Amino acid sequence: MASLGSFLLFATFVICAYAVAASLSGARRGSRRLVESGVGAFYLIAATMTVASAVLAHAFVTNDYKIKYVQHYSDRVQPLFYKITSYWGGLDGSIMFWVFLLAVFGALAVYVNRDRHRELIPYVVAIISGVQMFFLFLMVVHKNPFDTFLVQTPADGQGLNPLLQNIYMVVHPPSLYIGFVGMTIPYAFGMAALITGHLDDSWLRAVRRWTMVSWLFLSLGLTLGMIWAYEVLGWGGYWGWDPVENAGLLPWLTASAFLHSVIVQERRGMLKVWNVTLVITTFFLTIFGTFMTRSGVVQSVHAFGEDRALAWMFSIFMVAILLFSFGWVIHRLPMLRPRYDMDSWISREAAFVANNWILLIAAVLVLFGTMFPTMSEALTGNRLTVGPLFFNKWMMPLGLVLLALTGVAPLLAWRRSTLSNLRESFVWPVLFGILVSGTLVALGVRVWSSGICFALAAFVTATITQEFVRGARVRKNATGTDLLTATIGLVMRERRRYGGYIVHLGIVLMFLGFAGEGFKMDAQVLLKQGEEATLGHYTVRNMGVKVTDDGQKQMVTGQVAVSEDGKSVGTLYPARWFYRKHEEQPTTDVAIRRAIAEDLYLVMPAYELKDQSMSLQVVINPLVSWIWMGFGILVLGTGIALLPERAFEFAIGRAPAGAATI
Amino acid sequence: MKQKAVKIGITSVVLVLALAGLLYSTLNEGTEYYKHVEEVMVNPTQWQGKNLQIHGFVVKSSILRKRDSLEYKFKVQSKGAVVDATYIGIVPDTFKDDSEVVLKGRLEADGFHVTPNGVMAKCPSKYEPKKGLGSPGM
Repeated sequence: MASLGSFLLFATFVICAYAVAASLSGARRGSRRLVESGVGAFYLIAATMTVASAVLAHAFVTNDYKIKYVQHYSDRVQPLFYKITSYWGGLDGSIMFWVFLLAVFGALAVYVNRDRHRELIPYVVAIISGVQMFFLFLMVVHKNPFDTFLVQTPADGQGLNPLLQNIYMVVHPPSLYIGFVGMTIPYAFGMAALITGHLDDSWLRAVRRWTMVSWLFLSLGLTLGMIWAYEVLGWGGYWGWDPVENAGLLPWLTASAFLHSVIVQERRGMLKVWNVTLVITTFFLTIFGTFMTRSGVVQSVHAFGEDRALAWMFSIFMVAILLFSFGWVIHRLPMLRPRYDMDSWISREAAFVANNWILLIAAVLVLFGTMFPTMSEALTGNRLTVGPLFFNKWMMPLGLVLLALTGVAPLLAWRRSTLSNLRESFVWPVLFGILVSGTLVALGVRVWSSGICFALAAFVTATITQEFVRGARVRKNATGTDLLTATIGLVMRERRRYGGYIVHLGIVLMFLGFAGEGFKMDAQVLLKQGEEATLGHYTVRNMGVKVTDDGQKQMVTGQVAVSEDGKSVGTLYPARWFYRKHEEQPTTDVAIRRAIAEDLYLVMPAYELKDQSMSLQVVINPLVSWIWMGFGILVLGTGIALLPERAFEFAIGRAPAGAATI
Repeated sequence: MKQKAVKIGITSVVLVLALAGLLYSTLNEGTEYYKHVEEVMVNPTQWQGKNLQIHGFVVKSSILRKRDSLEYKFKVQSKGAVVDATYIGIVPDTFKDDSEVVLKGRLEADGFHVTPNGVMAKCPSKYEPKKGLGSPGM
């Protein structure tokens, strides 16, 4: 089976090379048959990668420990579910998973657009196949997941790291990967548009949905990562500005900019250079992020390893991407002239430009902070690290400005805003923002950044509500229905716009959650049995430590009675788990009492069974639940924006496209 | 068009300079030197009082905890050089004999004072091959 897998990878590499050659020569000579055969080869790649994935999954399920990768990431007692998901448990498998996803997505994207964007297709095929060739090359020469042991086959595997044996870790990598890989599609179409010179908006239309879906999965992946850090790692927080987290955030920032910036090109024919630049940057950052986390070039708690060959291959590939992409951008600059110039700085276009700049600067800063230790070492020989302090200092103001823009931009008119329309748009939201700020000051909120964040959140929420109410009123008067029906009709009629507003609302809630960090409380205590400690208005009491066993692991569970303001609210059970295969790596089972206002978060890192004492980390995390709720709303909004064009035609009373009208 | 290009040029230069200046000022506050134990212990006085992150391995059976408290004393070594460290607080799961650690804190005359939450043990993450495993089949 292993040799079949290796053969499939090698064969796929060859097919990719053919797809590139056939598509390019077909496009150059205008030979439809060559182009068609390139597309055929491209579909075949998806098929061979699917079979290769099936071979690897089969090896995991049948405990084929001849294969090093399988032996490394699975064992006999592992539940079937985790056996299959071990596919992306390590580096070699995740590269293969990457190619598999890209092959499937690419085939889908080409299939959907094969007639509509005929002139772009051969180049799209060539570019995606080229990217696949890189990853396949990496696997075939350096990181083959089908590598076998040469001499003896181990009887059992080492088992997947217990930290990874939970549902978040099963869903988190694939969703991030789908996001990462999905960004290759817009890049390929963008490059195809640059190469062919078909630089109207058609390429944007082809990739709009791909970008949105990828962005959604990136958001999901990042959020799941936060939940995982919060609930499984027991770090007490959800974001530590770790290089690996940053690697996922970078393309998210530029992709968010791209999603917004595209609107301006569609509406006003401006920002064309911005859009190709953002799509290239986003794709580049997905590759860079993978490289950063997987090559050990950034020494973090995550990356203590070193792999020079991998680092070199990635570096060459990344330089090639940049030269090739921006070379074409520079070559096509004359064709990327805006249709209109900016009329006024108080206009929606200007707000979009500001949004692009801020998101780009944020990405540059995160990149800078992440790479700074490596850069300082390379330049001075002294390795200087920058901590969360640096990131928070920069990201907080940028985040607040972004939040303010979220409220301001939709209220501005295209081209130029007049004083009277500014007045009528801003009056209520600003008043509401001021009202909330006044209340906060009266309540004595001391954390400035959080206070400003709350006030801005109020302002933005008011602007979004106002947009909905206004639109719904107009519609109600026009159609004569009630307000609710009018609102639904409004949202369905302009799904992208109002879906976008709902996403903004989700972002506002997430920001509220982030602002809660300013009121975090944290204590580390050692409690003998019966002793108690107080933090904020909570009191925790050690009621003893129990040991149980479920066959796969031994569990040491602390029993902590919690009371709030003197009233008992129940018992929490922070625990330590010792997996049979990984006794040296106990895992932390965090106990969390969730509430709308704040989470009480307990970790028991150490204990004494003799006298039933425990060390306890007690953390009060205000407003954390709002982050998860906000994310739910973000998903809802994106879902609405993604709804197909024709699904609701009957409901919103428009003639379907192509209907005979007199 | 010319004028516009000049305007854009000047604006971007000003922006870049402003950003660079701001970066420089924040970097001075938030940075820490990342050193291995042996690099620091060659000339400890030079590093005293500076914010450091120090990388090394916990010396076998050197971890001491004061009774009924979270006060730890331990030694960290790397390539033969050893430094004493003190820490108050909770240590991560992977903190034990011979484990690879990065400590945040300051070097003083009496040893390395680790800041709260400043013990970062090697993350047993999937991104890394595990080290020191016996040959397969053992």
